[in-house]
Amino acid sequence: MIELQGLVYQYPNQPTPVVDINLLAINSGEQIVLTGQSGSGKSTLLHLIAGLMDPSSGTVSIKGTSIHSLRGSKRDHFRGWHIGMVFQTFQLLHGFTVIENILAALMFSDLPRKEHRNRATALLETLGVNIPNARISDLSVGQQQRVAVARAIACTPAVVLADEPTAALDPEYASIAMDLLQEGCRAIDAALICVTHDTSLISRFDRHERLEDLCSVGGAV
Amino acid sequence: MALTDWNIVTRSMRSRWFSTLLTILTVAIASGLMTLLISMRSAGEDAFRRGTGNVQMLISKEPGPLASVLNSMFYAQAPGNPILFDEYEQLVSQYPFAWTVPTQLGDSYAGAPVMGTTEGFFTSFQPAADRTWSLKSGTYFNSPLEVVVGSDAATTHRLNIGDSITFDHGTSKKPGSHEHDEFEFVVVGVLNQTLTAHDRALFTNLESAWLLHAHDRRESQLGHGIHTTLEDIIPNDRKITGVYASLGDRKAALIQVLGALRSDPNWTIANPASTVGGLFQIVSNIDQILLAMAIAVMFSSGISILVALYNSMDNRRRQIAVLRVLGASRLRVFNLVLTESAMIGVLGGFAGLGIAFAAGQLVSGVLQSRVGIVVNPALPADGYLMIVLATVALSCIAGVIPAIVAYRTPVVRSLRPVG
Repeated sequence: MIELQGLVYQYPNQPTPVVDINLLAINSGEQIVLTGQSGSGKSTLLHLIAGLMDPSSGTVSIKGTSIHSLRGSKRDHFRGWHIGMVFQTFQLLHGFTVIENILAALMFSDLPRKEHRNRATALLETLGVNIPNARISDLSVGQQQRVAVARAIACTPAVVLADEPTAALDPEYASIAMDLLQEGCRAIDAALICVTHDTSLISRFDRHERLEDLCSVGGAV
Repeated sequence: MALTDWNIVTRSMRSRWFSTLLTILTVAIASGLMTLLISMRSAGEDAFRRGTGNVQMLISKEPGPLASVLNSMFYAQAPGNPILFDEYEQLVSQYPFAWTVPTQLGDSYAGAPVMGTTEGFFTSFQPAADRTWSLKSGTYFNSPLEVVVGSDAATTHRLNIGDSITFDHGTSKKPGSHEHDEFEFVVVGVLNQTLTAHDRALFTNLESAWLLHAHDRRESQLGHGIHTTLEDIIPNDRKITGVYASLGDRKAALIQVLGALRSDPNWTIANPASTVGGLFQIVSNIDQILLAMAIAVMFSSGISILVALYNSMDNRRRQIAVLRVLGASRLRVFNLVLTESAMIGVLGGFAGLGIAFAAGQLVSGVLQSRVGIVVNPALPADGYLMIVLATVALSCIAGVIPAIVAYRTPVVRSLRPVG
């Protein structure tokens, strides 16, 4: 369902590519963790999959659509509708309320507008966030994590990309956050690609890949 | 309810409310200044044209037509060069006037000008195209020592029918002026408002005005304590300061009479409407400088929008990047910033109209109470609309650079964790 083929990305003025993956296929609902050292290209790979960066060569296919073949607003729309993202620092919209952060994800989707609020409210209830009108700045770190997960899965995406989702959390909280993220993805049958350097998370996933092993030429910079 | 672009724009404006408010205020002041200048410009000219009424020519011995019109019709100063009434009678007999009204200025009541004139002032002279004289109460003067009060003068000085008042010689309490306390005038009528400078004047008949000056003459000859009556008035006391005249619809005769009178160096002939037009041509140069200044202020307000939005882009980069990740296109974030800029223009434009209205009322009130000219600073509805649209257009132009910055926001770099 998600297929990376001959995916290469090389920064200008660098001798070797930071990403060079011959083939990586991830099934619908599969949860995969990618590990690697700092600077091994983990985040770059997620940005390539999300279509935020263009590869030097190769393709990323999601539900049969090569994301890099889409241009401009079509690619943005595809990303908003089919890809969810969770960041290390959550990247929530400050100045907005909890529910508005979820609605922000839905506003760029094809979901009928009249369904947005119901969908957002139901998601927050499922994830145990019962203060929809609170400001993000008034939330605890744990609550922010829940909102970030809710936002990532709001559009029922095909894949959720998580970039070091537990890096800012203590071990106890990291476990709760990962439960939340993984359960959220299972609930909507979305694939989860999580990049981390935290090896303690590996056992939680269906599959573990080391980025260095995936990269045919060693890749790490 | 779904989240809309509008919500994002208003959230953004609210999150920087102080900066946004200051920017809106800057735009409002600039737009208000522009509106006020444009509306006052046309309103001022209208007000001056209005005060000249149906007078086709103003005859006097003032140094020039402008001084003549300002002094005899707008009560700027007491005219300084009198005309003997005999000269007036001779003049009237020489030319085919439809009507003439002799006027005499030089006295005042508590700073308000007092005009000596004839009944013709109220019957032949029409103060404005849409106004004829009418009484709010009482009657017009019928005999000496009766006074009819203009509407503003009655309000300002709280004059009512039956009040007894005395006049001052001169138009203000300046050296050389003195009170004519020997003669008490009785208020017999209060006029309805005409929205002209005449509203702040008082009117009595010519004999009354001459009586005061006959008394002054006799006092200087015979000393204090004398009693003066109408019989004591001699031809040299019978002076006027101006003549309102019209030839009616006879345009050819008007041109002929104007030509003949203008060739006589004894007279100063003014066509009030064209004299006021000439005055505004002189003023229009200053007016254009003021307008240029208002446009410059408008542009500076545009720059302040640009600076405010541009400076905010540093803080908004992360928000824009998150919106892009969530599916917002580059064009959409460009439009969000441009919409915010336009909103500042809309709010500033309308607030500017409010400022212009308030300032216009203030200026209008001051002009009416001090000069007696009713200036009604107003533009046609499409004039206001044009100013608001111009303000919005300028704001949009000012928002283009910040919008381009938003358009080009590097998503990946902007999402990197700080530190």
